[in-house]
Amino acid sequence: MEQKQVKLEEKEIASLVERIKQGDREAFMRLVESYQQKVFVVTYSLVRNREDALDLVQETFLRLYEKINSFRPGENFQGWLMQIARNLSIDFLRRQMVRKKESLDELDLDREVMAGAQSDPARFNPGQMLQKAVHLLPPRQKDVFILHHYEELKYEEIARRLKISVGTVKSLHFKAMQRLKEILAPQLGGNQ
Amino acid sequence: MKDCRQVKNELVAYLSQELSEGQRVEVEKHLQGCLACQRELEEWKKVFHLVSEVKEEAQTVASSIDWSAEASRIVNNTWKPIQKQPEKKRRWSFPGWRWQPLAAGLSLGLFLGAILTYLLITTGQVRFSSRQPDSSINLPQGFVEKVDLELARKQTIGYLETSQYLLSELLNSQKPENLSSLLTSEKLREVLTEKKYLNNRLEDLRLMKAKNICDQIEMLFLELLQLSPQMSEAELEKIRQLVEEKQLILKINLVKKELEQGEV
Repeated sequence: MEQKQVKLEEKEIASLVERIKQGDREAFMRLVESYQQKVFVVTYSLVRNREDALDLVQETFLRLYEKINSFRPGENFQGWLMQIARNLSIDFLRRQMVRKKESLDELDLDREVMAGAQSDPARFNPGQMLQKAVHLLPPRQKDVFILHHYEELKYEEIARRLKISVGTVKSLHFKAMQRLKEILAPQLGGNQ
Repeated sequence: MKDCRQVKNELVAYLSQELSEGQRVEVEKHLQGCLACQRELEEWKKVFHLVSEVKEEAQTVASSIDWSAEASRIVNNTWKPIQKQPEKKRRWSFPGWRWQPLAAGLSLGLFLGAILTYLLITTGQVRFSSRQPDSSINLPQGFVEKVDLELARKQTIGYLETSQYLLSELLNSQKPENLSSLLTSEKLREVLTEKKYLNNRLEDLRLMKAKNICDQIEMLFLELLQLSPQMSEAELEKIRQLVEEKQLILKINLVKKELEQGEV
């Protein structure tokens, strides 16, 4: 498949944003082409369904435009865009779990993991468990986890984005991973 | 030299490659001689591996997507709502948007009012012009007068005929008690009322002769009304004489004939 993913310079982004504000469809197309795959990796990693993830990419760009007037030159465009994608995906998962009446209770999740690991390891889906476990993380831990693992940001960049210290990022990341390890350990065959 | 507790706290950052060079060397040195920490590291690696598997899965799926087509789809599907955006903003920026229903009502009222006024003015002009001699109803001059005269003539003939019947009845009755139902006071009143309506018609100069005889008949009938029903024979005879004296029947016939011929 044709992969048209070009890294845009800050100046170029500012110019494109300005053109979009004036109703330039081509500028919007260029922005979509440049960022859609990055957005997709985040939305897919969180929802783990191709069509849902693609719909979320579209929704992300729609929201981006709706808020385009609030974007100021010099701001971190990618961070802003990814935050929209992240929030939309988290909201989507929340709605989906409520719709499916899936338990959001951590205790239930633990029990589910234990039962899955003991009864039928073949049917147990660790990816699905990870998805649920990530969703159940406290908001700040979840943000750090997604930024580091799905958006591949270094601690320093995460600290800038979330306006917290690198030490706090390190601590939040550790807590998030520890929680996931606790939940997934029975399936992964290790000690908690 | 770091102890196990310190190293275990650094393992996540170590696997995330977020430790400084010095810290990384220290952790690795400790791991070489500590089996417990090595086991801990292996467990962390499994979790990291699972996370990276999900990420790799996302990248694999992403590589199977035709992103050019997808970009077009995204732009096509989102551009329409995008284009509606400025309209939405304009609508919200209008300060008196709450008054829009009222404004719409007023506009409609003004519009209808203007139409009605226009129609009324137009109709008014027609009415004004109809008052002028050359109205939109182009009747020949004198036609209306002729129609009026004709109607007066017909009504007068009718009045004279009724009177003639009544007078004949009067002349033919030998005794007051023999007067037929024709000459009742009610009948006399009817004829007198008819005369009242006829008076206006008889104002026309061309009906002056008819007016004269009609007036005489009226006076006679008024007399009769005062006498009837207890009329004495002498009174009846007196009236009869009066009728004959004035040759009322003859005059009626003559005037009637004139009227019927239109020679008024």
